[in-house]
Amino acid sequence: MNRRQFLTYGGAGAAVLSASEEAYAQATATRIDLSVEPADVELIDGRVVYQLLFYGAAQSEPRPVIRVTEGDLVTVTLRNNAPEPHAFAIPGAPGAEIAAIAPGGRGEVTFRAPRGGTYLYLDPLNAPAHRLLGLHGALISTPRDGHTPGGALTPFSAETLTPATRLLFDAMRDDPTARFVGDPWRPAREKIWLFAQIDPALCEQAELRRPIDGAAVQRTFAPRYFTINGLSGFDSSEAETVKPKGYVGQPLLIRNLNAGRNTHAPHIHGNHVLELSGVGADGSVVVRDNIIERDTWIMRALDRKDLILPFERPQDIPPGAWPPKEEPFPLRYAMHCHTEMSQTAGGGNYPQGLTTHWELLGPTRPTATS
Amino acid sequence: MAIDFTKTGVSGEQTFDSFGCNVWHVNPDTPDLVRPDIRFTRQVHDGADVLMPDGREVRFWSFSDPNATNADKDKPFPSPLIRVRQGQVVHTTLKSAKNTHTIHHHGMDPTTFNDGVGHLSFEVSGSYTYQWRPANAGTYFYHCHKNTVLHFEMGMYGPLIVDPPEGPGTLFTGGPRYDVEAIWVADDVDPVWHEYNHDAGLCGEDVALDRFSPRYFMISGVPAPRTLTDPRVIVRAKPRQKVLIRLINGAYSVLRVAFDLDATIVAVDGRGLGRAASPWSRPIPLPRGTSVDMTSAQRFDFLIDAPATPGTYGARLEFRDWGTGEIHAGGRGVAESRIIVA
Repeated sequence: MNRRQFLTYGGAGAAVLSASEEAYAQATATRIDLSVEPADVELIDGRVVYQLLFYGAAQSEPRPVIRVTEGDLVTVTLRNNAPEPHAFAIPGAPGAEIAAIAPGGRGEVTFRAPRGGTYLYLDPLNAPAHRLLGLHGALISTPRDGHTPGGALTPFSAETLTPATRLLFDAMRDDPTARFVGDPWRPAREKIWLFAQIDPALCEQAELRRPIDGAAVQRTFAPRYFTINGLSGFDSSEAETVKPKGYVGQPLLIRNLNAGRNTHAPHIHGNHVLELSGVGADGSVVVRDNIIERDTWIMRALDRKDLILPFERPQDIPPGAWPPKEEPFPLRYAMHCHTEMSQTAGGGNYPQGLTTHWELLGPTRPTATS
Repeated sequence: MAIDFTKTGVSGEQTFDSFGCNVWHVNPDTPDLVRPDIRFTRQVHDGADVLMPDGREVRFWSFSDPNATNADKDKPFPSPLIRVRQGQVVHTTLKSAKNTHTIHHHGMDPTTFNDGVGHLSFEVSGSYTYQWRPANAGTYFYHCHKNTVLHFEMGMYGPLIVDPPEGPGTLFTGGPRYDVEAIWVADDVDPVWHEYNHDAGLCGEDVALDRFSPRYFMISGVPAPRTLTDPRVIVRAKPRQKVLIRLINGAYSVLRVAFDLDATIVAVDGRGLGRAASPWSRPIPLPRGTSVDMTSAQRFDFLIDAPATPGTYGARLEFRDWGTGEIHAGGRGVAESRIIVA
């Protein structure tokens, strides 16, 4: 089977595959059906490139977000509808690997969902080539118990929480003495920012079925397009799946992943973020015990970082100008990679690269703690 | 005069064109204006050549200070320091002179109109006064945010330091004190890019702004290897003094930083580590001979105790490619300097 799909840029949303989104579901069996599909993808400047993409069973959207609950038995099946072998792995999730599947074949693996946090699923074959051709996606593991002793909910397993994480999540509460006065963090307050890079020359090599040497790709990869959740520039700035929104006092979790090869320098305007986690040498989620507030953070190849965007009052507005009377809400703030080559598409077109923005809808929550 | 926000990215219709190619160009009043405690003017300055060690002259753009009586009036690059106290209301007036530009005070969190991002607000063709009030002492910078990929590389940036109410000598209230201060801006220069015109690459033109091959490596406007000797870069301290190095990565490289002395990272991105408002953070030791990586636009503040013994101690900045991770220019992409204790 060699079915080709044509994706337009705006169509690349984020389907969600999940057997259970309950935070405290009992251990259950979850089954995720994926396939590898060749696709023609239209980029932000109209150029069309050949990519290889993971699809869910419905095949409605590429690179579906997989949601599981820590400890659940998860079965992933993978059908390979591409003309070369493909495989599957989740760094940091022991046992979550499917060895190479021949074209037209099918593979399967069952594993325990890893500890609460953000993971990247990918095709590890010919690394990093297949991943860079598009075979990657985000897997979110919800902790079975993510509470701090103080009762605040976190995205991590309670036994992995550090004193710093406990302090921070307890500091987001409806209490005038708290650092982040407002709502506690809630699981629904989340955005996934999955970064990727596209080199049309590599896409063409794959389309023409020329041999691809992963080690050579690691050296010569020359990306010309830079995406968040498959989107760039104007499209990623307007996409609801990418753009955070909220009022002062509504903290949001950013699950940031880099499936590309190049190191990104995401820079956010309007608020600093708090960096909660990183990746250990074995791919596991490392919850930080030194949480640093940053306006710019480093995202190397295969990095996964969870960050809190606090949605606090932008700190550098004069008190006499807050809340603004003349300048209207929403206040809108850019997030873009500061290694600015990533702000281009096809060698120019600033800022049609890796960028989005976030919106501060108002100075107070419409109905506090609702 | 009422501000017509519909003529800006704030309330105007956001389109593919307004996002990049045809951004709003206006010169509005500052909304919600309050009385400033301190004012700065920055005028676009678009022609100064820097002589590189190989004899090549490379063109830089910058912001100058037209009110200055010193070199800042016609300072080529980097742009003059903006230094203020925490809590001061600051007005920065940009005079674009020709073409359009903006000023983004990087690390400051003001309103959208005062943040200097063209596609979300506007680019300035004449003049605009940015209003902000820094709440956190620390190390920042300011830069043009138009066609940023090019304008930032062309040198349109300068350091921005916020002192705590106590003034210079203390990094932040409750934080470390220092006797000697250095402000270092690391930069890498691809001379090919410095031949481009102002709007290169906008509106569909492929000028290969995704290819960056730097050949010169600078600290605070001084190209290596002069960084080893130039008084604008080297640090002089007396034994047992506390040295603060405020390092801004203005390069498009991943900067690998190492010192011949034990150092401590005491602040990141204008936020003191371990300060009262941030009990979940603490300073990070950087023992001599170990390194730390800084990506583009990050700022780390390093505190170093000058040893009791006089001597010369090295600092090494490696400029590494964002893709391969290798040192640029076949291993030449290094800028070294010295801390001289005497």
